[in-house]
Amino acid sequence: MKTVLEARDLSVERSGKRVLDGVSFSVTEGEVFALLGGNGAGKSTTLLTFLGFLPPVSGLVQVNGKAPAEDIAAARRAIAYLPEAATLYGHLTARENLRYFLSLARMRPQAEPIEAALDQVSLQPDARGRQLSSYSKGMRQKVAIALALLREAPILLLDEPTSGLDPVAIDEFHGLIRLLAGAGRSVLMVTHDVYGACQVAGRIGLLRHGQMVGSFTAPAGGRIETEAVHAAFAGRVPA
Amino acid sequence: MKRPSSLLREAWLLSRDRAAIFWLALALALSVFSVASGVEEVRYQRGELAKLIELDEADRNAELARQSDWGGAAYYAFHLTYDPPSDLSFAALGQRESAAWKHRIRMLSLEGQIHEADAPNPELALAGRIDFSFVAAYLAPLLVIFLLYDLRSGERAAGRMELLTATAGRAESPWRMRAAMRIGALAGCVLLPLGIGGSVMGAPVAGLLLMSMAVVLHVLVWWALVALADRLSVASTTQLSILVGGWLLLAVLVPATGRILVERAIPVPSGAEILLAQREAVNAAWDLPKEQTMIPFIERHPEWAEHSQIDAGFDWKWYYAFQQVGDQSAEDISAAYTRGRLKRDEAARLSAWLSPPAFLERYLQSLAGTDVRSVIAYEQSVRDFHAELRSFYYARLFPGQDFRIAEAAGLPEYSPAR
Ligand SMILES: Nc1ncnc2c1ncn2[C@@H]1O[C@H](COP(=O)(O)OP(=O)(O)OP(=O)(O)O)[C@@H](O)[C@H]1O
Ligand SMILES: [Mg+2]
Repeated sequence: MKTVLEARDLSVERSGKRVLDGVSFSVTEGEVFALLGGNGAGKSTTLLTFLGFLPPVSGLVQVNGKAPAEDIAAARRAIAYLPEAATLYGHLTARENLRYFLSLARMRPQAEPIEAALDQVSLQPDARGRQLSSYSKGMRQKVAIALALLREAPILLLDEPTSGLDPVAIDEFHGLIRLLAGAGRSVLMVTHDVYGACQVAGRIGLLRHGQMVGSFTAPAGGRIETEAVHAAFAGRVPA
Repeated sequence: MKRPSSLLREAWLLSRDRAAIFWLALALALSVFSVASGVEEVRYQRGELAKLIELDEADRNAELARQSDWGGAAYYAFHLTYDPPSDLSFAALGQRESAAWKHRIRMLSLEGQIHEADAPNPELALAGRIDFSFVAAYLAPLLVIFLLYDLRSGERAAGRMELLTATAGRAESPWRMRAAMRIGALAGCVLLPLGIGGSVMGAPVAGLLLMSMAVVLHVLVWWALVALADRLSVASTTQLSILVGGWLLLAVLVPATGRILVERAIPVPSGAEILLAQREAVNAAWDLPKEQTMIPFIERHPEWAEHSQIDAGFDWKWYYAFQQVGDQSAEDISAAYTRGRLKRDEAARLSAWLSPPAFLERYLQSLAGTDVRSVIAYEQSVRDFHAELRSFYYARLFPGQDFRIAEAAGLPEYSPAR
């Protein structure tokens, strides 16, 4: 399997403080990798480093075998990024937001795929022509997920994608992620949701204080044990 | 189907931004208002001049027809002198609001006649008319600030920065296009009324282009200042405070301080002082022996020495001689007044390098011919014309020629420099 994302002994500093310290992991083509960790563990920082926003102070970070800084446009083109607490434009409708951002990504925004993506995240059709400022948190999150889907990028970096979604929407989302991975897309998602991570991820990395303190791999054809991960996450069992 | 260009995309986004549309509409409204008020003022001044020009010759001829000697003719015949507004002056009224641009003068002492004319619009001159140069120099920078200050910091605050940048990649960062779009739209809103006003007034295209280029440059300077403030990466509101503070400094504080310092450093006598010096000399003449008045006159005009004997009673020669002596005694102070104004103007020109708004305002006024130099040039043209009048009348008064109406047709005529 081709490795699309790789961090090797990666260290990153923000405002002079070391927030990633010797982190190593990789994501292969068609794989779903979930990054678990408490607040401030360094999950979002990891995603930003892959996007080339934060330079590593040591170690190596690669997208498709190249450091992001080497060809930042290529790295970002290969990635669809769903930021933490994604905020699209409140004064635009869902459709307008998607059209704007797709055009920004140099894609041709067309009505049919946009409606299909909004169907996939099950955003009510009557809401799609309304300004996002009138949306609930979960509805806004759905539009942001639709954008990530529409980007048709081979790699998805998702920062807490299910935050704000109701249980039904979360289940649908996990189904969607499995579908995408099955079609060969690679997903690196950040989450606090141990149960969800075990449902959807082929591998889970546990991050604590900027260090990778544990990893879990699903057995062939099966799922990662929620109990074990939960125990490690809660710090009851040294991972 | 072609991919929509970044230009169209950002233009569309701009069209959906209510705050930006508000500032652009305000820019357009201010520019329309200022150009319209400038056009109206110039039309008013032209209308006044047209009326006066039409009456000027007829009035003079009617007076001349009643005269029996050259002394009376010189006393009763008024001549209109004026500085017509240039075709560009609607955009920068400048000194035309506070300095006199028309006089009716006759053979009496000139300095008094120049300086007793009231300012044409004293109450407006105090308030300061909102003309195009004011809008472009002092208000447009504020609009640049309001349109651009949170372009990046606002996205940063909304948490959209990384998404936008990551989505655009590096090749096509939307910032420059967004800023350029807003700056372009602002320049369009400010300059469109100028172009329309210019074509209504028949203004020269080259002059309008120079004005437009200066305004665009000025807006670019403010764009650069906003970009500089953006480097600080502070919150939008902090950035706004910094920029508005910068505007206060460059558009208000620096020009005002400059004006005060220039006025302190370069004293200039007032027009009233000139008036007083000349009047005192004229009034004193009535009580002096006539011969005494003739001495300084003959010093200036030795060619009339042999014709300078004065009759015992009232003599026009003596009368006009002391009028001229009045001017002679105000000469130094009048020259100091002109010199002082030029020096102040030069100092203001130099200090304008510290204030882009003041610099633009001065440049627009110099293009429009409404600056201090134009006022002084006009005053000089009035003095030159008055000197011609004196030559004409002296050549008839001193040799004691009889008045002939046909000869009065040869009186010098004033023609404005532009
Ligand atoms: N903009 C920033 N400037 C400086 N330090 C930052 C910045 N953002 C985050 N940090 C620091 O980096 C560390 C990691 O933060 P990060 O956002 O990666 O955590 P996280 O794992 O995503 O947490 P959460 O679950 O709360 O989102 C924290 O110690 C945080 O204080
Ligand atoms: Mg985070």
